[in-house]
Amino acid sequence: MRWRNLLWIGISIAGLLLLPKFFPDPFFLRIVTEVFMWVGLAITWDVMAGYTGYLNFGHGAFFGIGAYVTAILMMRSGWPFAATLPVAGLVAGAAALIAGLPTLRLKGAYFAIATWALALAVQQMALVLDITGGPDGMRLPPFLHPQFFFYLMLTLVTATFALLWFLLEKAPFGLKVKAIREDELGAMALGINPTTIKMQAFILSAIPAGVLGGIYAYWITFIDPASVLADIITDQAMVMAVFGGLGTLIGPLIGAVLIFAFKTYFWAYLADYQVLYLIILGGVIALTVVFLPNGLWGTITGYTGGRRILRKALSVDQPQGSGEKET
Amino acid sequence: MTKPLLSVEDLTKTFGGLHAVEEVSFQIQQGEIIGLIGPNGAGKTTIFNLISGYHPPTRGRIAFNGRDITGRRPYELARLGIGRTFQVVKPFPGLTVLENVVIAAFARHPKRADAERHAWQILESTGLAGRAGLSAASLTLAGRKRLEISKALALEPQLLLLDEVVAGLNPTEADQTIKLILQLRDSGISILVVEHIMRVIMNISDSILVLNFGRKIAMGKPAEVTRNPEVVKAYLGEEAACKP
Amino acid sequence: MFLLLPQALVDGFLIGGIYVTIAIGFSLAYGVMHIIDFAVGEWIMLGAFLGFYLTKWLQIEPLLFLPLVFIVFAAIGYLFQPVIHRVLSGKKGNPLLMALVFTFGLALMIKGLGLTVFGFYSHSIPSALSAGSFSLEIGSLFVTVPVIRLTGLIYALAITLALHYLLKKTDFGLAVRALSQNKDAAGLMGINAKRTSSYVYGIYVGISAMSGVLIGCIFSISAQMGSQYTVFSFFVVVLAGMGYLSGVPWAAFLLGVVQSFFLIYFNPGWTLLAVFGILYAVLLVSPKGLFGKGV
Repeated sequence: MRWRNLLWIGISIAGLLLLPKFFPDPFFLRIVTEVFMWVGLAITWDVMAGYTGYLNFGHGAFFGIGAYVTAILMMRSGWPFAATLPVAGLVAGAAALIAGLPTLRLKGAYFAIATWALALAVQQMALVLDITGGPDGMRLPPFLHPQFFFYLMLTLVTATFALLWFLLEKAPFGLKVKAIREDELGAMALGINPTTIKMQAFILSAIPAGVLGGIYAYWITFIDPASVLADIITDQAMVMAVFGGLGTLIGPLIGAVLIFAFKTYFWAYLADYQVLYLIILGGVIALTVVFLPNGLWGTITGYTGGRRILRKALSVDQPQGSGEKET
Repeated sequence: MTKPLLSVEDLTKTFGGLHAVEEVSFQIQQGEIIGLIGPNGAGKTTIFNLISGYHPPTRGRIAFNGRDITGRRPYELARLGIGRTFQVVKPFPGLTVLENVVIAAFARHPKRADAERHAWQILESTGLAGRAGLSAASLTLAGRKRLEISKALALEPQLLLLDEVVAGLNPTEADQTIKLILQLRDSGISILVVEHIMRVIMNISDSILVLNFGRKIAMGKPAEVTRNPEVVKAYLGEEAACKP
Repeated sequence: MFLLLPQALVDGFLIGGIYVTIAIGFSLAYGVMHIIDFAVGEWIMLGAFLGFYLTKWLQIEPLLFLPLVFIVFAAIGYLFQPVIHRVLSGKKGNPLLMALVFTFGLALMIKGLGLTVFGFYSHSIPSALSAGSFSLEIGSLFVTVPVIRLTGLIYALAITLALHYLLKKTDFGLAVRALSQNKDAAGLMGINAKRTSSYVYGIYVGISAMSGVLIGCIFSISAQMGSQYTVFSFFVVVLAGMGYLSGVPWAAFLLGVVQSFFLIYFNPGWTLLAVFGILYAVLLVSPKGLFGKGV
């Protein structure tokens, strides 16, 4: 069983590595590269939602912060691209720390509201600051090398996937995070400090998103608040993860591939009606919640975590520390 | 008298003007079982929540191993060696029985392999080893209560707070759990037990602490306590009238 | 610079009234349904556009449409609430949460709809009162009171008093309060939870939409405006303490003053940042809200 899994993983990676050799069409490579990126955003979003049980409605902010950090460092300070990526990740992680500090002590509804507000605040900040170029955005030096970005994105997303898989499915950290998702008060009785663990999970989800943003900025060579800080980034990552199945890494991966494939088709035929896409995303998430609460992958494999996760994530009752009723 | 493991002094907790626990003091020695009894609403669970850090006390002081632990958070206390169970059992339903215990074992064994080894030992001793791979949600009530004890034990506690771990079990299961509690006591763990079943609590406890309306009304050997008129009036009388 | 401070306070106080009405409606809906409606800003946006188009087509004073806008959106809310109620009382998973995610999806859909139908441009609703203003001189202080903002405050007072009367003096209000306290007990008392929730949701959507028209007369409107007002609503209810009505006016007026202050002294773009900063500080220092005893 294990060997077969490893074999499949090996074949998949080898296949992806060889893809540009056999399908060198730049348009096709661009699509696949973007799929990688969305896989990365969806799985990192799921670290908080699916594994920890907290809904982050502002994941796109970390992506945007990463994009701006790379752009600013390259354009204003003359850094080489490669050196900006770690900084992009760190700044995104620091933003998560700042956003998580007041809200991760509280129940999920506050976190949902606060992350959502954070995204708007970051958007607004990019619009009013000079260093970000305001609404005009920033232009980066063009580096038109589709294969470079294909391999870079592939490497980063594969590494993120592997890291998350190890931390969440193999290491003690994963069990602690799940304990918090399942029952925060109960977890405290077992020596787990929920705030610390949640904070670690939140930062863990933010850093790769920041790095992805950095790569994206250099790749598309032009960023502005309407592109890298758009609400749609969070919305889409969320729909991908919820639709694919929360609480797993495979679910969001599948969701990302399917939704992005759909989006590509949609764009090809309905480019004039872009905003219709919002309606569709909204519809997909509403319908998934009602009819497929465990997502596609959960429904196929019978994994039933998703529903419970969503319940926990959005409850506003039970403040910490007063769960037990007097009898 | 040796130094007590747990020492509670003038512990008071008020919820919006209501005294849930009022000026309660008592001590627990090492390897001792103390039974905590009292009518519904007497403040038993509040005492548990105060000692395990779920509620900060309004007044009073709690010392563990001679160290002031008043106001410490539950996870700190768990790491210090205070394990507790919940009256409403709280397994992590989406995880397996083994994983449930492994999570607690991390408090002493940060490496996953060590924690798993330790968890297996605990499950062997509590008789859940055969169900280690099952989802915790699939356990029966007896199994869940066992799991609850197993999780608390995985912390390698010096003090164990057991909240109604026997109630609701059939006689055979109850006897097994009682045997387990006595074994734990013999291994040197101090235990504070809340239990509604008089037969159980009178048999296993070294002494009994009686609460009524948040106040301590008596503490002593089971035989003494049952003869205390105030206790009879407050609690046993009511109980005796219900169950002749 | 300093001379503008009283002006900022007056402007903020006047606009704060409208936020009071929105936040009270939002809190009421939260009280009976126990869900945060992420679509609140979108209802405001839809209401504003209805007012805009009615004014454009009929060339009549927009404030005269307020009752009509209320009726239309109260009906929409009333008819729509059973859908949320169905999600809320579903057997699958956790209904509470599904309803919440549902409102998030709903907000997305309405925004998409708004952008599709109304486009990306900003508009303002021309009211006869928009241009008028009068001056007040108190000693050396000199402030201008725009008539439209004053109207907004009067509107807010009227709505708040009407809601107060409805909640405190009528059987319906009793039912609403009972429902906010305890759903099961309310059911035992013979209160039709479903019907009452529908009415409350209708009232809330109606008020939000109506307030949208006033916002459109004072500021500008666009299909993207919803998010900002959703944040404002969250700001008010978090500062007031989630679910506590008594703190709502304070929080709402504070929001109004902050907003006016930033409009006068800084780039209006900083408003949202200031709002976020205050929200952040409150959550950090006093997560139960500044003016109440919320969760």
